[in-house]
Amino acid sequence: MLKYVTKRVVAAILTVFALVTIVFFLVRLMPGEPFTSAKLTKEVAENMNSYYGFDKPILEQYFTYMGNLLHGNFGYSMKYTNKTVNYIIGQTFPFSADLGIRALCLAVSLGLVLGIIAARNRGKKLDFACVLIAIVGTSIPDFIMGALLQYFFGIKWGLLPVAKYLGIEYTILPACALAFYTLASVSRIMRSSMLEVTSQDYIKTARSKGLSELRITCKHQIRNAIMPVMTVLGPTVASVLTGTFVIEAIFAIPGMGKYYVESVNNNDYAMILGMTVFYGCFLVLCNLIVDILYGVADPRVRIGKR
Amino acid sequence: MKKRILAALLTLAMTAAMVTGCSTPSTGGDSGEGGGDSGAASGEKVFRYATNTEPTTLDPTKGQSIGDNEIQHAITEGLTRNTAGEVKPGIAEKWEISEDGLTYTFHLRDAKWSDGEPIKAADYEFSWKRLVDPETASPYAFIGDYLKNGYAIETGEKDPSELGVKAIDDKTLEVTLENPTSYFLSLIGSSGQYAPLRQDIVEEYGTDFAATADKNVYSGPFKMTKSENNEYIFEKNENYWDVDSIKLDRCELSYVEKPDTQLSMYEAGDLDYVMVPSAYVPDYKDKSEKFMNGNVDFCYINSQSENKVLQNKDFRLALNYAISRKEYNDLANTGIYEPFNGLVFPGLQAKGKTYGEAYEMKSYPIEGDQEQAKSHLDAAMKELNIASPGDIEIELTTTDAESSKKIAEVIQELWQKSLGIKVKIRQVTYAEIYGNVFPEHDFEVGYGGWGADYDDPYSYVELFKGDSSYNYSQFVNKDLDELLVATQKETDTDKRMDMLKEAEQLILDEGAFVPLQARNIFYMLDEDTTGINFYYCSLNIDWVYADVAQ
Amino acid sequence: MAELNKDMFVIKGKNTMKMESISRPSLSFWQDAWRRLRKNRAAFVGLCIIVLYALLAVFAPMFSKYGFSDMDTAAMHAGPSAAHWLGCDATGRDQWVRIWMGARTSLAIGLFSAFINMCVGAVIGGLCGYYGGKLDMIMMRVVDILYGIPSLIITILVMLVLGKGVAPLIIALCVVGWIGTCRFVRGEVYRLKEQDFVMAAKVLGIPDFIIIIRHIIPNILGMLVTNLCMAIPGAIFQEAFLSYIGLGIAPPNCSWGVLAKEGIQYLRIHPHEIIIPAFFICTTMLALNLLGDGMRDAVDPKLRGTE
Repeated sequence: MLKYVTKRVVAAILTVFALVTIVFFLVRLMPGEPFTSAKLTKEVAENMNSYYGFDKPILEQYFTYMGNLLHGNFGYSMKYTNKTVNYIIGQTFPFSADLGIRALCLAVSLGLVLGIIAARNRGKKLDFACVLIAIVGTSIPDFIMGALLQYFFGIKWGLLPVAKYLGIEYTILPACALAFYTLASVSRIMRSSMLEVTSQDYIKTARSKGLSELRITCKHQIRNAIMPVMTVLGPTVASVLTGTFVIEAIFAIPGMGKYYVESVNNNDYAMILGMTVFYGCFLVLCNLIVDILYGVADPRVRIGKR
Repeated sequence: MKKRILAALLTLAMTAAMVTGCSTPSTGGDSGEGGGDSGAASGEKVFRYATNTEPTTLDPTKGQSIGDNEIQHAITEGLTRNTAGEVKPGIAEKWEISEDGLTYTFHLRDAKWSDGEPIKAADYEFSWKRLVDPETASPYAFIGDYLKNGYAIETGEKDPSELGVKAIDDKTLEVTLENPTSYFLSLIGSSGQYAPLRQDIVEEYGTDFAATADKNVYSGPFKMTKSENNEYIFEKNENYWDVDSIKLDRCELSYVEKPDTQLSMYEAGDLDYVMVPSAYVPDYKDKSEKFMNGNVDFCYINSQSENKVLQNKDFRLALNYAISRKEYNDLANTGIYEPFNGLVFPGLQAKGKTYGEAYEMKSYPIEGDQEQAKSHLDAAMKELNIASPGDIEIELTTTDAESSKKIAEVIQELWQKSLGIKVKIRQVTYAEIYGNVFPEHDFEVGYGGWGADYDDPYSYVELFKGDSSYNYSQFVNKDLDELLVATQKETDTDKRMDMLKEAEQLILDEGAFVPLQARNIFYMLDEDTTGINFYYCSLNIDWVYADVAQ
Repeated sequence: MAELNKDMFVIKGKNTMKMESISRPSLSFWQDAWRRLRKNRAAFVGLCIIVLYALLAVFAPMFSKYGFSDMDTAAMHAGPSAAHWLGCDATGRDQWVRIWMGARTSLAIGLFSAFINMCVGAVIGGLCGYYGGKLDMIMMRVVDILYGIPSLIITILVMLVLGKGVAPLIIALCVVGWIGTCRFVRGEVYRLKEQDFVMAAKVLGIPDFIIIIRHIIPNILGMLVTNLCMAIPGAIFQEAFLSYIGLGIAPPNCSWGVLAKEGIQYLRIHPHEIIIPAFFICTTMLALNLLGDGMRDAVDPKLRGTE
């Protein structure tokens, strides 16, 4: 087990390294320049380019960047000229993560419950109701969902704050808007997976042993059915926690999502790379955890055996 | 069954606990302020508004957007202070201008920084030299070109010490300009780049200077106390020389990207001022007021394009006559902007009135002129040997912003309908259009716009000067270039203004571009708030003298 | 007693295709699936809606007197009426025509990209899961890297090379879109290959690819179909998101995502402009989901032969 984890961690570091390298060169292929404003003159643009070292050979830039990266230094943003990327991530990540955790808790717990209820009542009205919720969730794009929630709960009925992120009541609407899609997909996968498991032999065995339905569901079905959900969840966790552009924009939350999209639109190379490294590490970590959990959750998959 | 429902309920309860249980991340430095919106209750005068462009920096020298400059206008004090076009003494008590209009001598008053240190002439000298120094890499360094040797220093030909600014003593600053610049006092009163800087503070923090509110000292009517998490808090600077004119205790600026969200926040009572999103203006017309922000929008025509038709003056005129700017404005902007057929923003000051009042506009009719368009098109086709208008195809380049997309679609439709030519739309990112497309002249017709940094028509007509960095349309006209060079040396302001008008007329007659609109901004202001000023150069909203009724 | 020697035996080889054949004179797999699908009323309704929308998308714009880009100042923001069945948008363009023009784009993007993603993802995920080991390790790291590259960069680069349009958009969505399916299939295959029936087949010496085709794929097909039905809305939303940030298809063309994005601005004052595209997006998703559920049940080998 320990050996496996070590191996995976080494692989993870190599993955992030490859990711940085690829993105470093990819961003240079993108159309546009990092310093753009309607007023920028050629002379000023040249000065800015040399200030950021873009006049040096690209390989030299690459090694300089990697050297800084080893020290955990992502450099200065090119749009927000006197802020470091580290500072921006440090400022914005807590908000995105906070919102993401709330949304995930909501989505996963409710999604699982809905999926289980639907599967246990297959073909009945309750199943239909659960499926309907899931469908509504997957049917509405997040920018419509967010705007609708904000309009009805925030403005029309005045129940909750319209925007910003200052206290618990502020978190409810964005968390719900963010949770909806994940909730729906979790519940659908859970339902499918539960039905899949129902006809397995070990369920029949359990039933013939005379176990109660509740025990069968809890001890055998859920544990086996939850695994496909986990696979889907790995990347979802990474992307939800590192911020979502649309929801954060609608609710004016000072999170990371905006910078992720905006840095690409602005060709803010340092920011793109910083965000990518951060997100990449997160993603690799999530996937690692999922793979390890796989072994824990499913007794038949023994990690060590590979 | 019951148990299952119970389990479900339990999970729900747990979720609810998780969702509400963890605390939100701390919002940083606003502790001890007693919460944002309860200002009125504690007797404080607070003004709250929002911006939809995030400030890029708090370093006055490196500001590059209207949003950046609006902040600097409140926290820094130039030699003069420009409030909605009216120039009053700032840190400079009085000044003398030499006969030739090239040398300004400023006499500074006794004023203090927010930390109690006196503001000296050397603070200006340091700041302006830092602005043009290539090492600083300020995105707005070109605004220092007015100073003697400014441009040469920017390009590295001269040393920053040769800049035309010199502190004679602590209270006297001598400034030498490159050309007689009649709007210089107005410019330095509204441009944050001309603010004073404290050398010791800048050197202490190095590249982190002004990264956050606490890493700077302030010379203006307000000091910044917080600049985190999309919130910017300004508090009255008790050391400001004219502190008695300042009524507000605090101003809270939120960065809220979506205009719709801003409107919602205003309606929920979270903001005192909001710009009405353009989609909503028709329904909020009765409740809102408007001002013009000095932006004019138009299509650049690449007059040296590989597409031969665009090199043809008749064809360019046909494009201009074909558009009914009124219909265009109704379709593309729900009629909220001013349909516009000129180049220079008509609200600029000229001869003691506005430019629009001082001169009569002789241009393409606002309603368009289909017959003129047809005859110009026929003339162009004859000259270029084109049989049918359907054989002409032009490409319209625009950014991918929703509003630009809509505008492009409308222009496309109007040209196709009126002239029978084919129009293709090419969408590029903002970074691309100003990074490559326009500077490298890689377009046929491109949608763009301009807002001036200073109150002078030159800023607009310069867009078509042969050797200008902003001449994206590659328009070259010897008469125009000579005229523009002459305006820079002319010291008689009225005569100079006439020359600039002549230049604008020349550009219009050549059909060098397709003017479209001058922007109106509709806004709503809380009825308790007064004293907000609006301006059309380098900043829009100026709340320094705002007051809130108790 | 004569001794046994090698000469007495003839190696007849093995007929891998027949060795597992079942003597039941049965319907083919797909015939059986189709039979069960028809019996599922909800799924059939879903199928009908999809077919109806597809037909309307093809024919409705042809039979309308309005062009999809004709603007009209007199009809700006017009509500639904006899002249404009679904009203008009901000520039007076007929919504009925635009909805079906948009349907062409959205349905094409949704179906093609989801299908391509499923195929690519299933093949790669299946191989990784089945063979495991080094191949798996390397592929998963590649997947991690691909997933980590901001999809916006990829989209921008694809569009830089291929221009704006439906096909480049599908390609851009496919570059990383298969990863989700891949990870999921890999997990499933990983689980299945340890199961007894696979073990049994292996012991019998059946070649790997037949095990995959006969045992593994039928067992994950149900989940895969559910996944596909989730992936179609996913792709349609992805397109809508790209339109939302301005990277979608070139104007004046439209998609449902573009229409929804344009309409959302007028939520409070002209709600029909958002309700109508939202309605069509939702009903399409509903239909796809009902169909997906029906398909899931229809192709599930464990439910074979049952009603």
